[in-house]
Amino acid sequence: MEHKDMEHDEKDLPEFERKLRVAMARREAPLGLKTRVLAQARERRQGQRRLWWMIERIAATVVLAAAVGGFVEYRHIEEVRKGEAAKEQVLTALRITGRTMSRVQEKLADER
Amino acid sequence: MRGNLSWQPDFEELVDEHQSMVFSLALRMTGDRGLAEELAQDVLLELDRNLGKIKSPDHARFWLRQVTLHRSADALRRKRANAATLGTDVWVELEERHGFMERDAESPLGVRIEELLATLPESQRAALVLRYQEDLTPEEIAVTMQSPVATVKSQLQRGLKLLRMRASSTLKEYVRGA
Repeated sequence: MEHKDMEHDEKDLPEFERKLRVAMARREAPLGLKTRVLAQARERRQGQRRLWWMIERIAATVVLAAAVGGFVEYRHIEEVRKGEAAKEQVLTALRITGRTMSRVQEKLADER
Repeated sequence: MRGNLSWQPDFEELVDEHQSMVFSLALRMTGDRGLAEELAQDVLLELDRNLGKIKSPDHARFWLRQVTLHRSADALRRKRANAATLGTDVWVELEERHGFMERDAESPLGVRIEELLATLPESQRAALVLRYQEDLTPEEIAVTMQSPVATVKSQLQRGLKLLRMRASSTLKEYVRGA
């Protein structure tokens, strides 16, 4: 009896598998799923684009600020350098004048 | 898997082609229509984020199946953890939810099979869904589930036996073709 049942079961298996395959056919996706997914994907891409736009703007501002800052700093250094050179020239002129004056004074003293 | 160098993934086309596969997999794995819809949406959006990594239509199909199974397993784990915290049985909950599933468009056998499927262990359910819904061979299922082929074959055998045993008590009229 048990043996008969097993034989029957084995014969039924392909039929059960066939019915299982039919019963497990894919279900239709819910209405609106695609629309919702596409809308969210679009929103995400737009968000990403906005983020990139912001990053680009921030990067451009940083580069511009660095360039302006660099130029200002260069100008300042250049002015200091020029000032130092002018000071050096004045000191040299004063040294020459001082030396000349001492020579003149020495000559005057000799003539007296 | 075919590698197609000139293939460019089109997200809208991929969603159109695979939404029913992703939804059906999630539905049969979780047994919860609302959760399956949410999972399908998450998986498809994850595909959009990973579109650059998809190399061919076959790769897209494989990727979607694998990610859907993983996400469904995660969702079931979370549900089980919540149920344990709240002191409810997730399988009882799943069976109850199945009671509310749409039945209009489905055959009685289809609905009953889905109900019975939800009572099987997760790995057996996954193997059976991939075998009978997706028509994959045990070797393909093994690759998708990242399990040895022998394990998949035994899961299929055990799952089928269990499903048939449970079905025979309630679905005699359908199984025997009556």
